[in-house]
Amino acid sequence: MAGQATAFSPVSQSHLDWLGTDPIPAEPYYDPAFYELERQAVFLKSWIEVGHVCELPDSGSFIRREIEFAKASILIVRGKDGTIRAFHNVCTHRGTQLVEAEAGRQSTFSCPYHMWTFGTDGGLISAPDFGQFHVAKEDCSLPKVAVEVCAGLIFINFADRPPPLREWLGDLADRLDTLLVARATAFHEYVYEIDANWKLTYDNFQENYHLRFIHPRSGGAGTGPENPFGYPVRYGFHGQHRTQTIWSNASAPPPPPAAMLAYAAAGRAAAVNGLGVNDAKDYIALFPNFFLFGSPVQHFSHVIMPIDATRSRGVIRIYWIGEDTSASESFAREFLMATARDIHAEDRAVIEAGQKGLSSGALKNIHFQTQEVLCRHLYQQVAAAVERHQAENAR
Amino acid sequence: MTANLPAGFEALEPFVANWAGRTAADRAALRGAYPPAERAAFHAACAPLIERGLRQLDAKPLRDLDEGERRLLDLFLTYAHVSLAIDVQASDEDRHRPLREAMRVTRAPVDF
Repeated sequence: MAGQATAFSPVSQSHLDWLGTDPIPAEPYYDPAFYELERQAVFLKSWIEVGHVCELPDSGSFIRREIEFAKASILIVRGKDGTIRAFHNVCTHRGTQLVEAEAGRQSTFSCPYHMWTFGTDGGLISAPDFGQFHVAKEDCSLPKVAVEVCAGLIFINFADRPPPLREWLGDLADRLDTLLVARATAFHEYVYEIDANWKLTYDNFQENYHLRFIHPRSGGAGTGPENPFGYPVRYGFHGQHRTQTIWSNASAPPPPPAAMLAYAAAGRAAAVNGLGVNDAKDYIALFPNFFLFGSPVQHFSHVIMPIDATRSRGVIRIYWIGEDTSASESFAREFLMATARDIHAEDRAVIEAGQKGLSSGALKNIHFQTQEVLCRHLYQQVAAAVERHQAENAR
Repeated sequence: MTANLPAGFEALEPFVANWAGRTAADRAALRGAYPPAERAAFHAACAPLIERGLRQLDAKPLRDLDEGERRLLDLFLTYAHVSLAIDVQASDEDRHRPLREAMRVTRAPVDF
């Protein structure tokens, strides 16, 4: 019968037994010593998403990123040859930061202190009275950081010899190439700071158990009588990365008129852009700290950058193809940004409340149920990376 | 009185001064900037006009909108936020506002 919901069955524990069911130690979610291990074992050795190629449209376009886990300021530049490069934002003379602007376009970068000037390829072009120095210009280039692009997303890696990005992404690389983000030219962005560990924050966005309690109004079709917790339809595991396919309530009441207008206009734009719906309900979680939602009408990324053991920053971007061309398109984009922001806003306070509890040290363990398996998978991947790092250092 | 908006949208004139936010961040903030009764009045005035209004504005490329038309679009874009307050959050809106303020809108494709 039309409109009748099909029976929902959550993913069975038997399909997930390989990940175990043991409690998870609580300390890694607040302990500064464990965070220091994560910093070295995970964040300084992983590909970290920091931007999108649409931010670097022209030769000389640059963005600056402050990367707290690396204690680094990074300059990402499109060179005259079109190549995107990443450098430490640090003059090779005496360490002064070259660029204060968050983004811009320049053909050269000059240190304000003594006017050492570098090209977009990082090479030292000129330095006043350089004859007084005892070093060759060739040895004074800006220190490079590994940078690669997949699906328009810019990733950096602080390791000396990182694996190729596409190898790191595995089978998800080709999938990312098919998504809206690979052709995006514009985006909305909102940012939040949170007094919470990066894993605790990230976990909130990879389990649906909380939806009915934290998002009773904004959750919309995310829950329903046959799936009251809005559990996913399926999970996918891709090495260190993971995916989930979300469920939606086909019998949910229609959204308000403003939402109908927005979805209609966004749907028309998606059709014009030839975007399919194969990944429309999939969240792709790239290790360690990046999400991408596959929806072609509300295609958003969410990166959670650790600041210290119990502080993080979230950056959410809703990507679009092309600039706004019509009033209806502007309305749709603004509405869809605002709805995503409403939902994310509801999560932040309860995550901070969780951090307060964990940081008290009152708990030895935390518990993940079957449908919080993605949180369990993240912890296990982090713990394994830390163990590998410790073993390497013990040799 | 000088018209601020295209003909046919006079009912929205009283809302231009307070509700025509120029950037996405401004509009997000306007949602919680005025007493609930004013927000509800703005919503009630916009709701019956937005579909016709967008259709009318869609007749021109965005960059060709004149000042009045752009002001009307700004009102409709603020309505996108206000609709969430009235149609979704409803009696939870006051509780929701401080949660939302921590989410700083830092970029939008067209903040003209």
